[in-house]
Order: sequence, then C-alpha cells, then structure tokens
Amino acid sequence: MENDFKKEAQRQYLHFFRIWFIIVGILLVVTVLVVVAKNMTYTSRERHNAQAPAERVYDYAEVLTDAEEEQLRELIAEKEARIGCDLVLVTMRQPVEGSAAKEAYGYRYTDWKRNMQDIGDDFYDNHFYGYNAPYGDGALILDNWYEGQVGTHLSTSGRIFERFGNQEIDRALTYVDKYIESDPYKAYSASINYIADVMSGGRTELRGIFLMLALLVPIIAAGVFVGTHLRSKEGKNTTTATTYIAGGKPVMNLQRDDFVRKHVSQRRIQTSSSSGGSGGGGRGGAHVSSGGHSHGGGSHRR
Amino acid sequence: MIFKCKNCGGNSVYSPEKKMMYCPFCDSEKSDERQHEHAQMQVCPNCGGEVTYTEHTSALQCPYCDHYIIFDERIEGAYAPGRIIPFRLGKENVKGLIRDKFKKCTFAPTDFLSEVRLNTMTGEYIPFWMYNYNTRCQFQGEGVKRRVWVAGNVEYTESSYFHVVRDMSIAFQGIPADASVKMPDGIMDLLEPYNYGEMVPFQPEYMSGFLGEKYNMAAEMIESRAHAKMESSAATMLQQSISGYSSLTPANRSITAPPPGTEFDLLPVWVYRYTYKDKEYPFYVNGQTGKIIGTTPISKAKVWAYGATLWACLTAVIAMIGIMIV
Repeated sequence: MENDFKKEAQRQYLHFFRIWFIIVGILLVVTVLVVVAKNMTYTSRERHNAQAPAERVYDYAEVLTDAEEEQLRELIAEKEARIGCDLVLVTMRQPVEGSAAKEAYGYRYTDWKRNMQDIGDDFYDNHFYGYNAPYGDGALILDNWYEGQVGTHLSTSGRIFERFGNQEIDRALTYVDKYIESDPYKAYSASINYIADVMSGGRTELRGIFLMLALLVPIIAAGVFVGTHLRSKEGKNTTTATTYIAGGKPVMNLQRDDFVRKHVSQRRIQTSSSSGGSGGGGRGGAHVSSGGHSHGGGSHRR
Repeated sequence: MIFKCKNCGGNSVYSPEKKMMYCPFCDSEKSDERQHEHAQMQVCPNCGGEVTYTEHTSALQCPYCDHYIIFDERIEGAYAPGRIIPFRLGKENVKGLIRDKFKKCTFAPTDFLSEVRLNTMTGEYIPFWMYNYNTRCQFQGEGVKRRVWVAGNVEYTESSYFHVVRDMSIAFQGIPADASVKMPDGIMDLLEPYNYGEMVPFQPEYMSGFLGEKYNMAAEMIESRAHAKMESSAATMLQQSISGYSSLTPANRSITAPPPGTEFDLLPVWVYRYTYKDKEYPFYVNGQTGKIIGTTPISKAKVWAYGATLWACLTAVIAMIGIMIV
C-alpha cells in the first residue's frame, strides 16, 4: 500500500514536470552544441603577423612587479587567442604637455590629449601590431604616470576600432580609473578583460541582465508557486446582493435627482517638451595617425 | 420512528435520484410504512442496540443494524420544521462531483479520493433559521457630476450639483443562518445559495436515510448574522440606485427594518470528514446544488519538492539561454 502511494506520487511528479524536463533536455543538447561550435570558431583564429614583437607589456613607469607583468602577459595571450586581436599595455612617466615638452620630445602638439593619442598610435604602428596584419586588429592602453599629467589613453585599431564606440572606450578607461590608485595590475587586467568581453561578442550588460534573471525569476516563480499551493481556499462566495430579495429587485418609492447649480473652473496646462538622442556603434574617436593609419580611441586624464 | 419496507421488512429510505421512498434491499418503490413511532430514544427500536445521540440529534443511523432512526419528539411541536429541501444529489453523484473537482489536486494525499474514504460521507439535514425582512432604505445627499475638456491649452472642469433623494423598500425572503453549533458558520454561508423553489412542506419521510438535527438555538440568538447579510445587501442596492455621480456626499442615509419574520427549515448537506495525519479535513457539499466547500489537506513536503524542481528547471533554462546568447 505504502509502496503503491510512493509509485503513484512519483508518476504524478514526472507527469507534472514532463514538459519542463523535455525543455531542459532539449536546451541542454542545444547549449552543448552551441558552446562546442563557439569554441571551434575561437581556435580557428590564426595569427597572421610575423613582424610585430612578442612583447605585449611595456612597464616603463615601473608600476608593476615582475610577477604582475608575467600574469598580464599570460592574460593577454589567452585573450588574444580568443578574440584575434593584439592587446598591448604601455606605462610611461614622461611629460606630454606644454611647449617645453614639445621641444624636448618632438611632439606635434602642446596639449595632453593629442600628444597621448600620437604616442599611443605611433607605438602601435611602429611595432607593427595587429593580429591579422601589421597595423591591423588590436588595441593599446597607454598609461602616463608623470606627475600632474597622469592619465590613460586607449588607442584602437582594425576590428576593435570598428567595434568600439565612445561608450565602450569610456568604459574601458573607467575600469583603469577605478582601480589604478589601489592596484595598477587590477586596473589593467580589468580593462583588458572588458575589451576581450566586448570583442568576443559578450556584452557585459547583457550578461548581468541574464545573471539577474537567472537569480530572480526562478526564486520569484517558485515562491509564488509554493505560496499559492500551501494555502488553499475553501470556496468562493456565490451569493449576490439580490439573492434573497423577493422578486430580485427593490421597490423604489421615491427617486429624485434635482439639478441645483453648475460651476465651471479652468486651469492652464503646463506644456513641456524634452528631446534626447543617443549614439551607438563603433568607430569612437576616429582619426588618422601620423603614420597614416586609421585609429580610434579616447583618453581619461586623472 | 423507522420506515420499513412492506415487502421485505428492510429499511426504506428517501432516494434523491428517484425522488421517492425506495427500499434498497428489494428494489421496491413507495413500499414504506412507519413503525415504532415515539419509541424510546436510548435504544434502537429495530434491534434494541444502545444508540448514542447528542442534545440536538433528530435522526441517526443505528451502528448495529444500520437502520435510520428518526426521533419523533425532535421533529414535532416546537421543533417541527416548516419546510425542507430534500436531497437532490445522492451519494454516488456527490462522489463524482468531489472526484471531478479534486482530480487535479496534485498535493492532496493519494488516498483522498479513494472509494473507501468517500463512502464514509454522510448526508445531513442541517437546521436553518430563515429570516424575512421588510427593509427601508433612505438617502438624501448631494451628488456632483464632473465633465472635463480641453480647449487650446486650457483645461475646463464643469461641476454640476444635484440634490439626490432615494427611498426604497426591499423585501428580503429567506436569509438563512444555520442553527447548528457543529456546523461552522463561514462554511455554511459559502454553501449558499439554495434554490428555494424546491422547498416543500416538511415530511419525516425525507429524513429517512439521512442524519439530522433540530435547531440548536432560538431564532433571536443568531439573528445578527442574517441582519448583517441583509444590511450589506441593502447597502449595495442603495449604492447601485445612485449611479452616474463623480462624487456623493450623504446628508442623511439610513437602512432600517422592523424585527424579521422567521421560519425553521431543514437544508441538505453532504459531509465528508477526511482525516490526514491526525487532523480532520471536513468537506461540505450542498445537497441540492452540489457546490463543494472545503480544503484538501496538503503535503507540505510535496509542495516544497515541486517548488524546488520548478526553481531548478527555470534556473537551468534561463542560464542555458544566457550561455547561448551572451
């Protein structure tokens, strides 16, 4: 008897969730296939550039320990293979602003921003970086530690240039700003991770939304389910106001609606209009470098 | 008294399906005759077995010989019911109704709908006081109708004021209140409404085959329950008669009724007492309309297990969609 009930309960359980189990099963197969397919496309990316050096981390400002540099190189190597773009980090401690600096270092300009852009672009071009070809796909983070002229420039090129709009550039730089004071290694690796995320089609916002959905929706749904099934209603009231009235309706002895007076008030309507716009897409901060190659980018001065 | 079959001596009962007296032993119809009128209450007049009854019991089934005994002195004189709605649904019908309703109840214990359990169901005539009110509703007040329109960038609001007067009479008939202590009031209210069209003058034959009670308390003692129902209904009717106003300010509003007329009637209820883990879960079925009131016992472990599974499935689905898209 006891056994029969258990069996019956199991049968009910499977019956109740059969659709769910089928959906989960099918999705599992599809997901595995999609992930396998994705991984295959990653590994198929081959590097076509023999001119660029193997080095990716140039810590001229000496803000990273040797171990940190090594870790960054490993991180960059992994991300490069995944997204098929060169990622270069350059730190320096050098004045880039004013006429004295222009004289001393042979800059084209006297202002911080344009000189940072030149240095970043030229470093990239002169080392022939680019995953697919020299001057090709990649990005360079240039971080200046010179006192009073501290700030970061991101130089984009090739596919990263096509993909990165001002918004993405700004976010990549914001990651540096966020951690640079406390931990430069963390700042650079966060920025590199973000760039790799965007380039691998991974939109971090979307990932966040899905994480939220995956955490919240099932909890709420399960909570509602448990809540509604733990409490059960005894029954609905099916009498109405007229159930016990003889003849189904009252007898009206007197019904009067006498008009007394009328009053009109007026109010001026406040109108307001607002306009907004948003831009999207890639090619943020597009320009041509002194070497004649297209770059994008932007900078944050701290 | 006991109703005996003239043909075989078996216990004749009222059959809701046939709408007449019937002997389940020899299949005879209308073969009943009264026996053992005004018998002693402590013993079964048929088999002499000792029967236990409560202060209000008017009909019961002998636990030894299964005959249905009706106590004459509890359906006579001051306790004589005026009218009765005979059972319209028999036990088999009600079993079917309960099965249909709770078939999809995943969390009810598995033996909840078993034949053996459902057979324990009893049909009982519940004593009800019926109250008849002649209610008067009066209202006087100010009603405002508002109309808003826009011309250019100016919004105009026109308020028209009315003097509103209502005076209406409502005849309430048969607002029921159960006069049985053992029946929960809220549940009995939910069993309503009964169709009074099928109400007939009381005859003891209708009680044969069922359990019954005389009224447990006087009509005045539970009048407040009927009064509350009357008032809420009257208030709704009054409200409905004053429509079309944006706002209403009453100056004078009253719902009054002289003491009601009362009648003592019996209404049919099927009672199914299901016991699960030492707790009783009573079910009540309107013996005329088949309306079912009651909650199934719930296996909490089962609910939590299902909730957890639902959670796991949803999380898996969203996570996998996430992995594919992101």
